[in-house]
Amino acid sequence: MSLNSLQKPFAGLRVVDLAWVGVGPTVSKYLADHGAEVIRVESATRPETLRRAGPFANGPDINNSGYYANFNSSKYGISINLKHPKGPQILKRLIAVSDVVTESFTPGTMADLGLSYEDLRKVREDLLMISMPLYGQTGPWANYAGYGHVLQAAAGFNHLTGWPDGEPIGTGIAYTDFLVPHFAAFALIAALDYRRRTGEGQYIDFSQFEAAIHALGPTILDWTVNGHNQKRMGNRDPEAAPHGCYKCKDGEFVVISCFTEDEWSKLRAALGRPDWSDLERMRRKWSRLSEQDEIDRHIGFWCEERTSKQVFSIMRRFEVPCGIVKSPEEMQIDPQLRHRGHYWELEHPTMGKRTYDGPSFRLSKTPGELTKASPLLGEDNERIFTELLNIDEEEYNELLVEGVLE
Amino acid sequence: MSSNNLDTNSGFPTGALAGYRVLDLSDEKGMLCARLLGEMGAEVIKIEPRIGHQARRRGPFYRDEKNSEHSLFWWVMNAGKYSVTCELDSSEGKKVLHKLVEQCDVLIETSVPGSSRDRGLDYRTLSRINPSIIVASITNFGKTGPYRKLPADDIVASALGGHMYLNGDPNRGPVRTTVQQAWAQVNAQAAVGISIALYSRGLNGGLGQQVDVSMQESMANAMDNAQQTWDILKINNYGPGVGRMREGQIGARYIYETLDGWVACLGYGGLVGVTADSIVDWFNESGEAHVLNSSTWRKRLSMMDLFTEEEQNLLEEVVAKFCKKRRKDDLVKEAQRRGAGWAPVYDPREIVESVQLNERDYWIRVYHDDLGESFFYPGPPFRLSKTPWRQRGRAPFIGEHNDAIYSDLLSLSSEDLRTMRRRMIV
Repeated sequence: MSLNSLQKPFAGLRVVDLAWVGVGPTVSKYLADHGAEVIRVESATRPETLRRAGPFANGPDINNSGYYANFNSSKYGISINLKHPKGPQILKRLIAVSDVVTESFTPGTMADLGLSYEDLRKVREDLLMISMPLYGQTGPWANYAGYGHVLQAAAGFNHLTGWPDGEPIGTGIAYTDFLVPHFAAFALIAALDYRRRTGEGQYIDFSQFEAAIHALGPTILDWTVNGHNQKRMGNRDPEAAPHGCYKCKDGEFVVISCFTEDEWSKLRAALGRPDWSDLERMRRKWSRLSEQDEIDRHIGFWCEERTSKQVFSIMRRFEVPCGIVKSPEEMQIDPQLRHRGHYWELEHPTMGKRTYDGPSFRLSKTPGELTKASPLLGEDNERIFTELLNIDEEEYNELLVEGVLE
Repeated sequence: MSSNNLDTNSGFPTGALAGYRVLDLSDEKGMLCARLLGEMGAEVIKIEPRIGHQARRRGPFYRDEKNSEHSLFWWVMNAGKYSVTCELDSSEGKKVLHKLVEQCDVLIETSVPGSSRDRGLDYRTLSRINPSIIVASITNFGKTGPYRKLPADDIVASALGGHMYLNGDPNRGPVRTTVQQAWAQVNAQAAVGISIALYSRGLNGGLGQQVDVSMQESMANAMDNAQQTWDILKINNYGPGVGRMREGQIGARYIYETLDGWVACLGYGGLVGVTADSIVDWFNESGEAHVLNSSTWRKRLSMMDLFTEEEQNLLEEVVAKFCKKRRKDDLVKEAQRRGAGWAPVYDPREIVESVQLNERDYWIRVYHDDLGESFFYPGPPFRLSKTPWRQRGRAPFIGEHNDAIYSDLLSLSSEDLRTMRRRMIV
């Protein structure tokens, strides 16, 4: 089989994406960037949260959010007012000719609209559906509201991020929004593969909370097995010395870490084998682990006299694990990311040429491709409703007038 | 899993990925990924050197006893896999591996680019042996590019992946999450890449391919909207401490101290925005709404008016005082009842005791026959109705399944095995 004749992984697959904000759209972005026809279903009556959140290109407008855009590359957009009695009916007609439904509403919302998995299976028997709210479909917290920014607190990331003498600051971002979609996408694609092999669809109850905990595995076991309740350690690590973040002459920060004796001896060479590093208590990792304040002080002084680029370059030459803490600006010009083509530039009708994240992996024969910028709200209404669903002009106009497609 | 009898039909009977076989040669960048494939039904064979994989020396340890079968890191990352030993640096070990490759669907490796070819793990060699194989190379920076050979661990990838710039405090600088998130991220994202390649293989006549995964890029994908904020506004977001970052400005505090810990809530706990009235009512019931219980204030809070710095401090103070006197779970329950998305700040113990997780029977008891004890492990990260996620037992001992795998899969006789053992290949 020649490479030219290969199909994109999800060629021919149609996905109805009712999810919103970060998690759901990131899941369907994987599908869209690898060849699926993903149709975002939104409504002007209740615009998606991220469409109203910045940063905006060319001024605030529901079509100009960079936040929204990044999660919605390669997708199409339609609008249906699901609160209108005819809304769910129209949606069902679309689902009848689709393979996958994704949603992240509060549990019960889909059922109230007559769109539960059982309802939808009646129009599409082999349907694959995933629901991805914060806490899953059942349990006392099922209806709890929130975002990734606070879910990270419940899931342990606040307690485990920050300095030991300080507050549980957590990550500075809506962290779980950028962690759990990968688990959900994996589950969905594995289920798609099962469907490809057996013809059977299924329903996936995904709880963002439950997935996030898998990023803390050893720490959880330290409690359930040993009764140790771990806590945040700043930039330290229980098994490395040094393991820190140091300010350089140019005000930038670098990180340096040594887990092995080999890395430590390379670091000593890079620093010019200073006397302090040859002291008896510095010679073995187990004793270095209790000298971290002193080690950090020395490395801190050393870094203060050099720019971050100089430190990085010296450590690179001596093969010491080291990295500059890169700002968003520096990420854009990072030589490695440039080489990899991590960021994609896509032309958007109202936002102009904008930067999008690509996947962190490359498939050698059927690579991901960001085929288009994010959709305008309802951009593809006419094509989807009249061409795909064969709604005639009269009915289409009626739906427009009645506000079903708002 | 505790016996040496390898019956793939009974060992891995169900799951969305049932029928696939995975060779796991990975370090910390791929072990969780391989485990997830196994919990979805694939048969996962961990390949280790005869002395055991180096990750067995990573803590924490069972009862703090440092030995290669007691690493909790190893336990949780490799639960449910088979283990065979094989010295991949020897040419005979490589031959053994290549024979396994003939019968596998996925191989996961994490060697530094440039060194894998020497070990016969490069995609060209492996795909000649088995054109259907999917080779996932999970590396620090990807298989190509100027950084490809740089040493990196979790904190280096967090830094060079941009994510760490967004964490921390303006006074103290950037901070890493104490539990390794670059590893978690690259594992989870690699699982997505591999599953796409498996699906693609079915669509494209059984053709395998290489999946080249970068840990740096997996962290670059965890930068929230910072990249777009730079792209559009030329503003760098950075670590905002207890505040919330928005377009280079540190906004309202989102962490408040309670009687027994902390809670997290955005927008002054919902005082600002659609829940304003309901939250003012709540605070007012105990006379703690202060000046906010006025029609002017209520109106301004509801319509998300612009507030002076002094007014912002006042809002923060009202919320802080209210929280300080109460327990976090009570606060969250009541705030949620009133429509505000609060969450408690939980530590590992509180996560394990969470009513939500227990109500959903989340925790899985895993029996360790060697210790005669069972321990709770994290449960289903996703719940599939037809092909449920299933925990597949404890992590294997070093080479626990040598006999089973080598005789069943490669049809090696016990004489062959003895010879290989004597020659220190397995």
